[in-house]
Amino acid sequence: MNRFASLAPAGHGRTPPATLIHGLLACAIIVPGCGPAPEGSVPEGTPDQTRVPFERIVNADAEPHNWLTYSGNYASHRYSRLDRIDRSNVGDLRVLWAYQMDDGIIETTPIAVDGILYVTEPPSTVSALDARSGRRIWTWSPEMGPDVLNIGFPEVNRGVAVLDSTVFVGTLDAHLVALDARSGAVRWDVEVGDNAIGFSLTLAPLVVKDKVIVGVSGAEAGVRGYLDAYDAATGELAWRTYTIPAPGEPGSETWGGNSWETGGGSTWLTGSYDPELDLLYWPIGNPAPDWNGDVRPGDNLYTDCLLALDPDTGEMIWYFQFTPHDTHDWDANQIQVLLDAEWEGEPRKLVVTANRNAFYYVLDRETGEFLHGREYSKQTWAEGLDENGRPIVIPGTDPTEEGVLVWPSLQGAANWFSPSYSPRTGLFYQPTRIMGAVYFKADVEYVPGQPYTGGGEQALRGEEASGAIKALDALTGELVWEFPLLSPPWSGAMATAGDLVFGGDNEGNIFALDAETGEPLWNFQSGGAVRSGPMSYEVDGRQRIVSSAGGTLFVFGLD
Amino acid sequence: MRQGSICRTRLAFATAFALVAAAGLATAPLAAQEALSFSDEELERGQRLYQAHCGRCHGVLGLGGEGPGLAVSRLPRAPDHAAVIDLIRDGIPGTGMPGLRDTILPDEEAALVAAHVISLRQAQLVEIPGDPERGRQVFETAGVCYSCHIVEGRGVGIGPELTGIGMRRGPEYLRASLVDPSAELPVFRSGARSGFAQYLPLRAVTRDGTVYEGMRANEDAFTVQLITGTGSIVSLRKADLAELEKRFGHSLMPATMNLSSEDIDNLIAYLASLGG
Repeated sequence: MNRFASLAPAGHGRTPPATLIHGLLACAIIVPGCGPAPEGSVPEGTPDQTRVPFERIVNADAEPHNWLTYSGNYASHRYSRLDRIDRSNVGDLRVLWAYQMDDGIIETTPIAVDGILYVTEPPSTVSALDARSGRRIWTWSPEMGPDVLNIGFPEVNRGVAVLDSTVFVGTLDAHLVALDARSGAVRWDVEVGDNAIGFSLTLAPLVVKDKVIVGVSGAEAGVRGYLDAYDAATGELAWRTYTIPAPGEPGSETWGGNSWETGGGSTWLTGSYDPELDLLYWPIGNPAPDWNGDVRPGDNLYTDCLLALDPDTGEMIWYFQFTPHDTHDWDANQIQVLLDAEWEGEPRKLVVTANRNAFYYVLDRETGEFLHGREYSKQTWAEGLDENGRPIVIPGTDPTEEGVLVWPSLQGAANWFSPSYSPRTGLFYQPTRIMGAVYFKADVEYVPGQPYTGGGEQALRGEEASGAIKALDALTGELVWEFPLLSPPWSGAMATAGDLVFGGDNEGNIFALDAETGEPLWNFQSGGAVRSGPMSYEVDGRQRIVSSAGGTLFVFGLD
Repeated sequence: MRQGSICRTRLAFATAFALVAAAGLATAPLAAQEALSFSDEELERGQRLYQAHCGRCHGVLGLGGEGPGLAVSRLPRAPDHAAVIDLIRDGIPGTGMPGLRDTILPDEEAALVAAHVISLRQAQLVEIPGDPERGRQVFETAGVCYSCHIVEGRGVGIGPELTGIGMRRGPEYLRASLVDPSAELPVFRSGARSGFAQYLPLRAVTRDGTVYEGMRANEDAFTVQLITGTGSIVSLRKADLAELEKRFGHSLMPATMNLSSEDIDNLIAYLASLGG
């Protein structure tokens, strides 16, 4: 046990909702590496590492030594403004410490707040680590029975959100839990969905103002998806927006019969937020059943859409659908990157995304207007996009009982793993899966708590598939350079102000490429497949690069 | 020409199956078998499931292929119905046999597949012409096989180890590997490298002009490891290479054109007997 054992909460189980008492939190401070400090012994001016008001997240770019939200900033750039590690010295990067987790797949992006890293461990554990040494301050695990369902995805968790002095985590059994940032004690715990019918949480929540926004998994179990907002202080549900309209609601005409009741539309990846427009951007997952579209005739709104929502009320402001009537499981749950640029001579607020369906999209984020799209990875299902961005689908590409070979595979050209956008290069770095699959359709009947997929795939493997880090012109989606990978990757990318792009591959490499040319400059063979949300922070004035691989979180630096 | 002979062999086995079945021999050696109470419908379903899940490697008729034939008198790893189910569930680590979890093959279906496998064993359809003992002599002498293969600790480990090869590959596959080794390289069937070719010949040229030729041992985006024909293990960084040629459609195994068809039959009989 480490020296901070006394800080760990006595019980790791759930406690009833409790009220957050701000006044108590300002008086005790932890100094990393020094253990709990008695009151009054800390020099004046020492920051309270456990206070992150909303304004700090809005201005996250102003404190690059921290990493305050899942994608680094609300615009989801996953770009570090730290530049001490650059092209001239990255070759000297080495492991400074590692943190070993229990068995399982690590997909967490650590949140760094003034010397503390908040990480999640599979399936739903949260740990606070000393960012200097890697030593654990506290850890918390939910009590979950052996019967927890995770239908359609592995037992993963992608990270926490932090607001003020509270850490928020979603659990595999579909609870949202608020933990005291200093001790890991439970402040409140709410059930977001019924795990017995397939609801689950794997994403990092997003805090906006005084609310915690959290989405659900479960389309492979035939849930009717929704997006929730909870009061950060009390855990009270502030709003819930269903992604599948009920009869009579706008969009309900895109669902035949009662298919809307089991229509899917999960919200399982963290969205983006524009504080100036005060709009929340959230991508929506596939319709259910995945591969048999016969039972749900129509476009199946708002599956495979990007929604823009009022973060105070959950009201939908606009939507854009990438893949109408999807029959390939091409969730739109990819990171939505916000950027401002000149578009045909006019300044424009844009949202861009590399979709799982292998097309890159540029939309106006005030109106949802489709501005541009193009193929960025091999695909064989659409001739292209029409002037409204709707795909021109090639006949005969739907799954059949005998099987149909289509690119991309059901895991798509992109997936949960993050792209990165560098404002210095204007490039959008997308880890890309170049893989086809034979898609099968099967009869399916909805049974609560059972897979509701209606088919499956046999993906091409080995030498028949590959991967790449693709650097795309962020405004056009055109390929500028690519770095080939042996197999379709599962790891995110992060660009830095040192003009580097960090990434990882299935073969175990954590690597750095020249952000302008793609030239490989450094790699570390970790010995475990990399499925990472890479990030960077600074401690003691020294830059750190973080990536997980296998069952271990690695922290790299130059010293 | 060699492809043609493989086709004829396959046809011959199919014909043999039809003849054996017609003669009512398929269920003949029942005396020593356990009694399994499955209806005809269930056995038919088990056969269909077998063909879907197992046929690709073990052959739809159970005559083997990339995996061993199952229509043999004795399955050393799985002597009875329960053991077949366990083997289906657990797979065989270190071989191409993956474990099929109950999400892929529910318990009830696994029991039916196992029943079909047991019925294959009772059918005993796999017939291998040739004399294993004479095949062993060919292996040691004319075949010079020990110069690249290890059997029970003897030989050189450049090509695949052949200890127990008769339990891992069917006779048709062994024949194809002997007469036309370049036609199809073995592929990893499980693990992180599933789907990648094994023993892939590589030709690497460094920026200073040094040429390395050998088989790929491993590869990632930054490095490649190969084993040369003399058994040296070479580690190369891709950044140091001017050229890296992956020679799909080639095998370092020489085609055994100089062996008579009788010798090849004997060699197959010997290999099929290894581990059997």
